[in-house]
Amino acid sequence: MKSIKRTQRIITLIILLFAAGMALLVLKILHESSFYMMNSDKRELGYVYDRKGDVLFDGTGQGQYPDNYFIDCGNIIGDDKGQMDNTLVAQNLEKLNNYGFSEGLRHSGGKAAIYTTLNHAANRAVYDSYGYMHGCVAAYNYKTGEMLVCTSLPSLDVTKGYDNLNQFEDATLMSKTLYGTVPGSTQKVSTVISALEIMGSSQLFSKSYTCYGKYTNRTGNDIDCHNIYGHGTQNIQEAFENSCNPFFAQLVEDDDLPLDKLKKQYEKMGYVLNGGKPQYIDINGIQCATASTTLEDKYQFKTQWGCIGQGDTLVSPIQLMMWESAIANGTGKMTMPYFIDHVTDLNGKIKEKAKTRYSDKIFSEETASTVKQIMLTNGADRYSYLINGYTVGVKSGTAQVEEGAKENSLLVGFVDDPSLPVAFCILIENKASGSLTTEQVAQVLLDNLKNNY
Amino acid sequence: MNSLNLILCAVAAAALDVCILILIITAYCEKRSSKKKWHTVSQDMELVEQNRIYELGCDEVLIGRHASADIRLPDMSVSRYHAILTVAEGVWTIRDIGSKSGVYVNGNLIRESALHENDEIKLGNRRLVFRKRRSERVR
Amino acid sequence: MYANPVAYIFSCLFVLIAHSAMLVNIWFNGNYSETKDIAVLGAAVIILDIAYFVIILFFKQSSYVLDFLLILVLNMSMIFQSCFGKVGFDKKHFITCIVCLAACKGSYILCKNHKLLQKNKKFIYAAIGVILLIMLLFTNAENMWLEIGPLSIQPSEFLKPLFVLACATSIADQQHKHKVLMFNVVYDNLVVFGIMAAICLVQVKSHDYGSLPTFVSIYAVGFLLRICYPKAKFSKKKLIAGIIAGIVCLCIALKYAPDYVQHRLHVDIWSDKTGDGYQQSQALIAIANGGWFGVGPGKGFLVNVFAHENDIVFATVSEEWGLFFSLMMILTIIVITAVPLINPARSYYHGTMSACISAAFIVQMALNIFGSCNLIPFTGVTVPFISEGGSSLMVCGIMVGMLIAAQSPVFKEPKQTKQEEPVPAWRWQE
Repeated sequence: MKSIKRTQRIITLIILLFAAGMALLVLKILHESSFYMMNSDKRELGYVYDRKGDVLFDGTGQGQYPDNYFIDCGNIIGDDKGQMDNTLVAQNLEKLNNYGFSEGLRHSGGKAAIYTTLNHAANRAVYDSYGYMHGCVAAYNYKTGEMLVCTSLPSLDVTKGYDNLNQFEDATLMSKTLYGTVPGSTQKVSTVISALEIMGSSQLFSKSYTCYGKYTNRTGNDIDCHNIYGHGTQNIQEAFENSCNPFFAQLVEDDDLPLDKLKKQYEKMGYVLNGGKPQYIDINGIQCATASTTLEDKYQFKTQWGCIGQGDTLVSPIQLMMWESAIANGTGKMTMPYFIDHVTDLNGKIKEKAKTRYSDKIFSEETASTVKQIMLTNGADRYSYLINGYTVGVKSGTAQVEEGAKENSLLVGFVDDPSLPVAFCILIENKASGSLTTEQVAQVLLDNLKNNY
Repeated sequence: MNSLNLILCAVAAAALDVCILILIITAYCEKRSSKKKWHTVSQDMELVEQNRIYELGCDEVLIGRHASADIRLPDMSVSRYHAILTVAEGVWTIRDIGSKSGVYVNGNLIRESALHENDEIKLGNRRLVFRKRRSERVR
Repeated sequence: MYANPVAYIFSCLFVLIAHSAMLVNIWFNGNYSETKDIAVLGAAVIILDIAYFVIILFFKQSSYVLDFLLILVLNMSMIFQSCFGKVGFDKKHFITCIVCLAACKGSYILCKNHKLLQKNKKFIYAAIGVILLIMLLFTNAENMWLEIGPLSIQPSEFLKPLFVLACATSIADQQHKHKVLMFNVVYDNLVVFGIMAAICLVQVKSHDYGSLPTFVSIYAVGFLLRICYPKAKFSKKKLIAGIIAGIVCLCIALKYAPDYVQHRLHVDIWSDKTGDGYQQSQALIAIANGGWFGVGPGKGFLVNVFAHENDIVFATVSEEWGLFFSLMMILTIIVITAVPLINPARSYYHGTMSACISAAFIVQMALNIFGSCNLIPFTGVTVPFISEGGSSLMVCGIMVGMLIAAQSPVFKEPKQTKQEEPVPAWRWQE
């Protein structure tokens, strides 16, 4: 009867709603069970390997390794102790756990592992080349996005624990590649890109300014050149090679380079301007700072100094390296770096195979090819005898930190070779404390990558 | 947890499954028997209007024009809720529930009346016959 | 006489097999020190099964399937509760189960004649009034329990079956209209609305927000099944508008709800793992730890968590017996509520009653399971049949009894006018 049917319909509806909720719950549990398990006290971690199967982190804690075996990547791979948060292992613990909903927690013989793209041998060689100096190196394949080298000094061997934590040097527990540093003249690459985007190639190349060793801008502040005798009249290519500060100050002041367009282009490239909210690039859960600078008034010292790469400007080495990829690829799109090539579950089944991803277009192809040419010419003119055997496009930089008390040396660049598509960023802190140069590190880096590729 | 234990768990769950299945089958068996029981309780009656047969499936059957009525007679001469049929102790009773045109049983206007086999009920312009249920095969 | 002896025998057999399979599982996978523990538990379960199978034959019902389902799920819960932590016979739960079965049969006898119930609706209203009064006088926000000697009773539980009876209605009742100021009014509906309001007020006063949704769902089902009749012009549009208005009211109420309610609604259990999110996060970890087939009866760690045997019982069962098995347990309870779909009630009163009971069971189950798994705010309600707790189990028994009554109704006029000897129209006289 209709009336009784009505009661039945209501019961059916309630049961169906409940069943739908139950299905949702089961799906949620299946999907999130490994996360739940990570929150329990029990975990059985697996290994992190480099691209050749070399161990970078041993979650079982049972393997025997030489002293300081993991020191070159200690602060980027990290561990599960909770001391370092922004590391590969800390951010991907869930993937490393030997747990599956059907299988439960496997106490021995689980095959859960993270296979990274790092090259341990090259990483180690680069680390060793620093000696007692501090700094960091990031290098990746700008075609695929595989991170090949990522090291930061000082570092630590995670197997030794944290008992003498307060004796660690500053910044031991963080990878400097991820955090902002003063870029020095490497910032001029961004300024050239912006100028090319706004003016176009022919107009920029038609500009020439004269450097007398220093330039007094319209508000009366001095922009010093590192060459106190001045570089004379130069075009953009020469100024880029000379890394001439007065030239770039005058370029920023030029009426053909309006500030709002400059700001727009900087923001497009990932800069956070004038104290905005910091942004991060996510690399397998690791947060990498982007760039920030101050652009307020084009006639003011602070803004010009920012465009030259000093003052308030901060860029993380990985961000610098990523811009190189957009230039080297010739597309104007950055290749997004990644550390994890693939992950295996506890049965050894491969899951989460990495894919190459690109950023949005940050500048045009023409700009990319022009900047590429400028940098390659710079590399050929100035660095062919310093970095032997590679066609490199580079820009060096010297950053004044601690209010000019110390100078950091930087080198960003890429190799223009389809068989070795590497973009890199090298930072040596307080370069006056030793005789190491960025070119030497680049030589070690590229040699090792080439031999082990 | 070895495979034997796993099998045992699966067996326990399967036994429960089978048990639930058997109980559902039992419920369907009981549906048939309780339908039979209902037919004895309700004296196996039905309402017939020309070619349409209305089953009397529960102890209160509402007749009217409204969509919520059990027996819907879409005719303007029938009130929204016209009459109600109830059964008790095997006797069906028809009762007028405030209709405009009244309820006639065998031609007599009534407010409440017990029904007998082959009574003719007139609601507005509609005529229904109260009769013994005929099995499907006969039709 | 019962019409399906074959079905009866098969049902008995398979209920026994299901319970035996669980006991065998304990035997091989369980955590026990002595075989005696399992023997006692097994004997108790099997004896209770067989005894109930025999006893139900004395109640001449036309349908026994709900009895089988009830004993199946009760002994299942008996086995679950006995295995938490370590296998051992849970005497208290066993006694509650027997009380539950007795309550079931009792309520069946009381409810099988719907005419009688309708006639005595006044007493139902009175009983609700008395319970509400008791709740107002003897319980408060800190203590919802009423202590009588060694027993502690939760009076709000007993409101549920009574409220179901009050919400159930017959078509004839709905046609009893009275004209009050141009409005057609059915007194019965007003009374039910008043009771609902009173229950809400008392529950809010005693801060028992957990069981409020159950009452609301019972009332909603009762209301939906009533509005079809007295106000024929109650259109779908009005209904939808009403629902929207209700949701808006709810949102406003939530916005201005007291702090401790707000706090409960927004708990990020993973960032507060040791505080307010403790039970839920532990429950989810336990489910993850159990996997599909569980860690084995008595081997779970969730027994160390407070209220493992009632508020988060789903997770405890999931951990020890596996998610698959606990889903089967849920399925059993759903089948109980779905029996009225297979075998429909024969009177509107029983039909509405079944719908209200199904709503009560399922809403309560949903609140508990989804609450303990962090889909909705956590409330301290129990899973029907499975959770430990005398009052709740007894009330579940009563409600199943009412479902059975709807399956095996008795059609008799309440007034037993003495039947006169039928006088034949013609009598052969000597």
